[in-house]
Amino acid sequence: MVDQNKAAPEQLKLQLKRLYYEDRLLLENLNLSVKRGEKILLMGATGSGKTSLLNTLNLMNMNYEGDIYFEGKELRQYNAQLLRSRIITVMQEPWLGDALVKEALSEPFGYMAIRKRGITENQESILRLLKAFELPAEHLEKKAEQLSGGEKQRLALLRALILQPEILLLDEISSALDQETSRIISQIIFHQFPGTVIAISHDPLWQNSWERRWEIKEGRILDNGAAAWT
Amino acid sequence: MDISYIGLILSLLLLAFPILIFWQLKLKLVKQLLSSFARMIAQLALIGIWLQILLDKDNLWLTLFWVLIMLSNAVITLRNRISFQKKILMPIFFMALGVASLIVLPWVMLVVIRPQPLYRSEILIPIYGMILGNSMNSCALAMERFEGKLSDNWKAYYTRLSLGANIWEAALPAFRQAMHISLLPRLLSIASMGIVSLPGMMTGQILGGASALIAIKYQMMIMAAIFSSVSIADYLAIRMYLKRRFDRYDLPI
Repeated sequence: MVDQNKAAPEQLKLQLKRLYYEDRLLLENLNLSVKRGEKILLMGATGSGKTSLLNTLNLMNMNYEGDIYFEGKELRQYNAQLLRSRIITVMQEPWLGDALVKEALSEPFGYMAIRKRGITENQESILRLLKAFELPAEHLEKKAEQLSGGEKQRLALLRALILQPEILLLDEISSALDQETSRIISQIIFHQFPGTVIAISHDPLWQNSWERRWEIKEGRILDNGAAAWT
Repeated sequence: MDISYIGLILSLLLLAFPILIFWQLKLKLVKQLLSSFARMIAQLALIGIWLQILLDKDNLWLTLFWVLIMLSNAVITLRNRISFQKKILMPIFFMALGVASLIVLPWVMLVVIRPQPLYRSEILIPIYGMILGNSMNSCALAMERFEGKLSDNWKAYYTRLSLGANIWEAALPAFRQAMHISLLPRLLSIASMGIVSLPGMMTGQILGGASALIAIKYQMMIMAAIFSSVSIADYLAIRMYLKRRFDRYDLPI
């Protein structure tokens, strides 16, 4: 089970020497820590390394030097699947597959890592979340391809939430969505999800809700305007 | 009933029809036709002489040697056919086809047919040729499909991974589809056997003078052997490929 409370005071601690995307050096000498439940906005120009940094946090990019601690343990020491099920990414264009929505939602509950964490499928919480996302329950019986972009994105976020992640990594999830969808999503991220959120977003609707801003500038990060490098 | 050499030459006269057709249509296939048939005749003549020696000697080591040559040829053919990840795939094909052969061929020879001697090459070599040829083609198809399914849809793979799936869980849908595409046509053709066409082995045996009853028994046996070997080879090849295609964090290499 989750050892959320007994471990280190900070949930996430980044002591990165270098971070690359393929051969390109993106970030250097980064020192940051994150408390549980913080909502952090990650900003920076295109190609500055925002997505690579997010991908690094759940072992989808291994191209880094230095250490990243999650609950006191370096990422590389984790079982990758277990870590990824605790730190979940939602991507800009979600993939839900060609099966029925309910099948897409229940597939991860069959994964070994999710079972090991003792998380089981709970129809009630799915229905409750569907309601919160303002999606009709009938959508469960539909194929994902029949749904609109906004509906798919809400379902992708819902799929992540029912797996009870401790950290959510959001990569531009509200870009290309209408204001209404964006409002529904922000309501859930900022007011209902208790865990940590680190997000790349240009959504003006969300701009005032962030507690903290990381801005990537020339391979360094400004943390709420202060230098986060050593 | 033997064919005389003059008869054989006369059979080649049948090629006059396609050549005339090509000529009238100005279809540039005449050269290809001549070279293809010349190659076929030369290759079969050589292999015929070699097989005659092999079958006459009926020597265990010579037979096993030839089995190994056949296996290596199959792997080399596969290497030339597959256009991706060649380095990884060569040893994988060798292992997959080798293991499938090691399971199916001894069963057929030592348990089912039990000829005297048990390695009798006039039975072993043609049967192995059919098993191996089919497994080889199927392996190539299954592997192409698997890689195709994966790379058509990396998003599916990465999404599953990012939700906590292990490599097996993330690649299983592509694995399943590859096996399905590779095996279903075989099952359908097995189901139509005898109605639409007489299968090759049976035809050969009947022409060679065996009774139809013996021929169908061989046919049934060889279909089971081929299908078993094909399934084993496809499965093993993709499983081993999974191990080599991804690193310890399940990211593609």
